[in-house]
Amino acid sequence: MKDNITQAGQKLLRAMARHSDIIMQAYVKGAVDEGQHSPQVLDNLQSLGILWRPDIESDLRLRRIVRALLEEGLSDERNRQVDANIGSALAKVTTLVAHYKEACNKHRFAEAESHMADLTELTYAMIDSLKQGVRGLWSRIHKEFGYVASIDAKIRENQLAQQQVTDILSQLEMFHFDKLAQEAGSNRDLRRLLVVTLQSNFAAVTQELSLVQARLNELLGRFREFQGRTRLLKGFVLHLEQQPDYSPQNYAKHSQVPNVFNQAQAIIEPAAVDVRNANHEAELAQIVGRIKAIFHLRSQTPQAAAQTVKVEQSEAVALAENKIRQSVEDYFCHIIDTGARLSALDYHVEHKLEFDHETWIYQVIGGYEALPTGDKAYFGLEKSLRDHPQFTGNKIIEDVALWFS
Amino acid sequence: MMTQQGQVLETLLSGGFVCRISNEDMFNFLQQPQTAQQIETQLNILNRTLTKAADGEVFFASYLSLADKERAVLERQFKEITANLLPLVEWLLLVQESTGQDMPLAQGSAIRLNELQSTIEDTPALLEQLGKISAFTLFGSTSKTADGQLKQIFKRLGELGYLVKPNSEKQIYIATGKLEYLYEVIRFIDETEALSLTEQAEAAMQQGVLL
Repeated sequence: MKDNITQAGQKLLRAMARHSDIIMQAYVKGAVDEGQHSPQVLDNLQSLGILWRPDIESDLRLRRIVRALLEEGLSDERNRQVDANIGSALAKVTTLVAHYKEACNKHRFAEAESHMADLTELTYAMIDSLKQGVRGLWSRIHKEFGYVASIDAKIRENQLAQQQVTDILSQLEMFHFDKLAQEAGSNRDLRRLLVVTLQSNFAAVTQELSLVQARLNELLGRFREFQGRTRLLKGFVLHLEQQPDYSPQNYAKHSQVPNVFNQAQAIIEPAAVDVRNANHEAELAQIVGRIKAIFHLRSQTPQAAAQTVKVEQSEAVALAENKIRQSVEDYFCHIIDTGARLSALDYHVEHKLEFDHETWIYQVIGGYEALPTGDKAYFGLEKSLRDHPQFTGNKIIEDVALWFS
Repeated sequence: MMTQQGQVLETLLSGGFVCRISNEDMFNFLQQPQTAQQIETQLNILNRTLTKAADGEVFFASYLSLADKERAVLERQFKEITANLLPLVEWLLLVQESTGQDMPLAQGSAIRLNELQSTIEDTPALLEQLGKISAFTLFGSTSKTADGQLKQIFKRLGELGYLVKPNSEKQIYIATGKLEYLYEVIRFIDETEALSLTEQAEAAMQQGVLL
């Protein structure tokens, strides 16, 4: 039997998965467009109890249970229904308890177990539906009925929610725990289920509901205030439209001026500057510094006298650096002319140059490196190196030799 | 550095309104009976008294006793208040319609200028309304664009103390308690003169005249 149920259930779920597009279309649009889908598929869905036709002329719609499942899964705010049919559920509980007791008395334990499972399911379903109702109410309160635009609609939604709270409360009144306790008798499992579980949840739901009710009343008050304000503003505009020459009575002339129109004149003016206050010296100096000079009396400002302009040749500025560069160039030319290998220091001594040795060698190397690659190929350069006495790996250039190749 | 008491006194004597949005510290200071009493004593010297409005949400200084001089001031002020009522009310309704939430502005409501502007620019009816409102002498905008008109209106409302801009770099404004004062003024006029504004609006809505 269990295999059968499993198979049938899987078949149903598979059908739902296969035709999820049709189901979602029906969920979103409210009805299925029958022209788009094959009649066979639609018949199948109907026989599975997913879609139904309220009457012959209307479109195919989603069954309430499927819709409820989707609303729950999607936490859709359209889910505003509160189902709490406690009365019938309680009657069912009593019946099942009787079945269970009878089975126990006749020692048909397998049967009793199955009744117990049903009873557990039923109880939890009852608790869940109550909690679900409360959850739904809270979620709407938290959104402050944001899914409807106007204040009037919000007020209506609020009233609906209040009605639902009242409904749930009246359903809750149907719980008679003394009767349930009596039904449960001394059976441990029944007591746990019917008295302990139900009672603790009952208390929780009741408490929540009273909070919900308080919050709803508060919201309603706020909405009504908003509504009142809006109407006040609109009424004022309307009143002025109908009576353009209207102006309120002059309340300031009454012997008792109402508080709202008694507003004292501003009497504080900015304080004046005290230049003798030494503490303010720095700030005042800064302010004075920011004042720009303004010449109002233009005529007194001396006009710039005309001057003869002498055009002179700008003085040639020869840098010492140029001299050394010139010498380097001369050295290179000398190498080209003679074609012989000559060390830079020898040239320095030969021509009695006045530059520092190090500078000279540095400039020669620099001059060589600065040559274009093509020209560089004409020269050969060799550095005579010496190891640094202290730091190995460092070399000191003592001289460079240049030749024309 | 001025003490808190000094700052509160200065604000009140400059004709300012103190609410929890514009300055929470000052508001708390005035809410404590002991400190409020100190301020009251000091105000009394200058023929002024601390007054609460809008269910204690706003504090301001009013005259203690009225002689001719004070009455002249009050009369001038009253004319100003009543002249400004229509532009302010129309502006409130415009904002309410543009935000699409059907919520009237109240103390602490935030207005995002950019969002408001784009909604108004997309709706010709609101654009026309805005043009009409900005031309009131209270706002005195000469701009032809919605951008300029809105900026001018919000600037003026900031100067008048109806709005504050908590972050100078962001175009977000918060309504202050002075707005509650405005509602109280209208409600007061409505009740005293038995204009039954609410009923008028309701009747009009049922006939579909309004909106």
